[in-house]
Amino acid sequence: MTTAKSSSAYETGPMKVVGTGALRLDALGKVTGATKYGQDLFSKKFLFAKVLRAAHPHAEITGIDTRAAKKLPGVVAVLTHKDVAGTNLHGLIRRDQEALCSTKVRYLGDAIAIVVAKNEATAVEALKHIRVDYKPLPAVFNFDDAFKPDAPKIHAEGNVLGEKHLRKGDAAKAMSEAEVVVEDWIQTQTCDHAFLDLEAGRAKWDGKMLVIEVPGQWIHEECRLIALALGLPVEKVRIIQPATGGAFGGREDISIQIYLGLCALKLKGETICMRYSRSESMVVRHKRHPIRIHYKLGAKKDGTLVAAQIKFYVDKGAYASTGIAVMRKASSHATGPYKVPNISVDVIGVFTNNNPCGAMRGFGAAQTAIAYEGLMDRLAVKLGMDKAELRHKNLVKSGDEVTTGQVVPYATAVECFDAVLKKIDWKNRSYATPAPHLKRGYGVSIVCFGLGYGDGFPDASRARCRLMPDGIIEVYSSACDVGQGLINMIAQIAAEEIGVRLEKVRPVLADTMRTPEAGSSSATRQTYFTGSAVHIAAAELKKQLQDIAGTHLKELVYEIKIVDGKAFNYLHPGKRMTLKEIAREGKRRGYSLEALGVYKPPTMPENTATGQSLRAFVTYLFGSHACQLLVDTETGEVKIERYIACHDVGKAINPDQVIGQIQGGVTMGIGMALMEEVVKKNGRILNAGFTDYIVPTIRDVPEIECIVLENPDPGGPFGARGIGEPPLIGCGPAILSAIHDAIGKPIRELPATPERVWRTLAADHP
Amino acid sequence: MKKTVAAVYDRRKNKATTRRSQSAATAAWALAFTLNGKRVSKKVKPTQTLLDFLRIEMGLTGTKGACEEGECGSCYVLVDGKPMNSCMMLAPQVQDREVVTIEGLAKGKRLDVIQQKFIECGAVQCGYCTPGLILAAKALLKDNPHPSREEFLVGMEGNICRCTGYNKILRACELAADELGLKK
Repeated sequence: MTTAKSSSAYETGPMKVVGTGALRLDALGKVTGATKYGQDLFSKKFLFAKVLRAAHPHAEITGIDTRAAKKLPGVVAVLTHKDVAGTNLHGLIRRDQEALCSTKVRYLGDAIAIVVAKNEATAVEALKHIRVDYKPLPAVFNFDDAFKPDAPKIHAEGNVLGEKHLRKGDAAKAMSEAEVVVEDWIQTQTCDHAFLDLEAGRAKWDGKMLVIEVPGQWIHEECRLIALALGLPVEKVRIIQPATGGAFGGREDISIQIYLGLCALKLKGETICMRYSRSESMVVRHKRHPIRIHYKLGAKKDGTLVAAQIKFYVDKGAYASTGIAVMRKASSHATGPYKVPNISVDVIGVFTNNNPCGAMRGFGAAQTAIAYEGLMDRLAVKLGMDKAELRHKNLVKSGDEVTTGQVVPYATAVECFDAVLKKIDWKNRSYATPAPHLKRGYGVSIVCFGLGYGDGFPDASRARCRLMPDGIIEVYSSACDVGQGLINMIAQIAAEEIGVRLEKVRPVLADTMRTPEAGSSSATRQTYFTGSAVHIAAAELKKQLQDIAGTHLKELVYEIKIVDGKAFNYLHPGKRMTLKEIAREGKRRGYSLEALGVYKPPTMPENTATGQSLRAFVTYLFGSHACQLLVDTETGEVKIERYIACHDVGKAINPDQVIGQIQGGVTMGIGMALMEEVVKKNGRILNAGFTDYIVPTIRDVPEIECIVLENPDPGGPFGARGIGEPPLIGCGPAILSAIHDAIGKPIRELPATPERVWRTLAADHP
Repeated sequence: MKKTVAAVYDRRKNKATTRRSQSAATAAWALAFTLNGKRVSKKVKPTQTLLDFLRIEMGLTGTKGACEEGECGSCYVLVDGKPMNSCMMLAPQVQDREVVTIEGLAKGKRLDVIQQKFIECGAVQCGYCTPGLILAAKALLKDNPHPSREEFLVGMEGNICRCTGYNKILRACELAADELGLKK
């Protein structure tokens, strides 16, 4: 198979490594317990740090007295904002959050002081001896209160974080002329990422550099934020990523890196350890945005959509985090995969004294999908039309515009949708149930998701490939493998391109001293971006290897092929050269045997007034889900009977891992649709732990039937796109659609817990 | 350190009450048990959880802690063959008992069938739940070599995995059961 980036036009045979379900390169360490995660780097010889958190959701700090804590035996240091030499500020988009608060706290997770002690228990004890004087301020905990003109100001500039508008055509006029109009609201909930590997790690000032070993998602950006906050030159900060037990967006904001860095700077030569408990992690860390969505959809009598008017009211929590980007993604995906000629979207995000909300798998698009699919269902009911037929009528096809006005050259929404309808046998679906109190429902959803950051952001990934003296190809990338398996993606692409077996490739990942910047492991972008960078670097290195082999074997360079680690003239294969020999020969001749690949596809910023852009995202991903479930009308319980997910991944670099991503995303979507909710009261999380924050177990997850389509993307490595987020985005709406189908009423507030389903059934209103 | 007469006297005088009155966190208990087939004797703080004891004192970091309240199964170890949440046990509770952690499952370089199947089926993603799940499956298959689907669910429902969606985990366990069945 030839590809856009393949260096040799002669390779036409089937691919040997890409497209195989090669076993995970890091699996052995994980099944034997040898893999070291952040918390596994601790030693009793190291010092332990703990953070004191705010006692009020909104208060002025009038005094901090650390003297008693410092006197406690075993306490080494107690640090406050006064000990921070830099800006003491962090935040991915706006630097608006103090690492250690100086004058004001804005939510209960705000940090005030750090204790460093000989052991963890002493550090915990010492926290109780720090006296902080507060002047409590009136606080706000929901959008409406925070948006009032006389609301207490959480930040000096006011409570509105920002607004985002999108205008396409004339939505008001088209809506007034629409033959059928449906209008409703949906309230999504706050979710926690609930990755299992709690925030933990260690740091040390090694004499020259601040070395921090803490899992993150974009280590170079974390270096910059740490350097700014602590007043260090950025080249003095090194991050080495330990094995990471899940992220899902939850490691995008800085977690413990600045605290650890500060302690290590103050106690030079000492190694400082730190870990969050589960409750601390849940209380402190950012969450998925709860959004209230008002959605109005207008159509002709035949079901053709003519207008959409959408308003998003976003509870941002106490700090900006990635909120602006989430709001933008909500707006740019407001009509999903449906062609709507007239759209108006208004997104308003306000600060409250709740947890900051930021990145989580789906990133605004997940909430939006629940709204647009929910409204399509309501429209289908009103029109008396089959909901699959209504969707079919309005799906984007190749060459159509999506919400942002971007033309999608290769849209495969229809193919994905047809595949799931066929698999679930839509036309012959049966509503017969074993008992009258059980009602069956069928739901469908379609995903159209913009990959990468887009919006003109200079999004790039770099990778380096190097031939080592032992004939091994090392691939260097700062991409963070947080569990999704990009280690295989990188190795398989390099092996395929160069022509070696997978075990001859050794990926070296995520160490800012050794690996080039790859951008973040988020936005479903690493396969597309880092995969491409590796592909480019591998192709370049291969040219160098062919050069050496050609010269040495006295053959024409363009006739040299590398298969299974041996270079030869493919027209008359006789003389061969192994990679080890090439490495030796290259060294003798002083050749580099190393190549850097940079992948930086441009996007165009969305117009600030209209939200329109010719290229808002580098590419779009399509998928479709179908769900069959039973609702127990006596208890409100939902049992998923069948689940089908189809995604067009362009090219599955590793089909097994693609299916793993789909099944994992769907499972997280089941959690979001049916059970996960961070319950808050006056800014305090009432269920900060796994006893009360319910995530899906093996019992909640049916067999997830996956259909993987491969329509190659011209920009991706070997045609690959990405798969991280779309499976989650499709899941919530499909389940809610099926519940609506089963009980005849929509669930407006997420998650659809048994209680909510039961109350919806019991309510008089539709 | 040389003990003074007074100190010895004080200790004798307080002997009867020492066990109860002395701060439980500081008094060391002599703990003896079998860990991964080897006899272990070690002084332990009676308030230390088995999880912390294994990870900090024994350096066996394959046993993970994730929820710290017995909900997620990441910290499973086998105590006399039964999967137990080591975060919910105190170290002295394993006195004279047999404990197996994930590190004790492979025989040298030869992996246990369940470990092998987890790798082959792609049941490992981030890997943080993996040791606990493998031990849960180990205990299940030991008691019941041919579990039904429902019995698998009962055996594994104490473990949370946030990455994989469980499908491949279930598949790995079922294949391991098949292979173990063939061997017998």
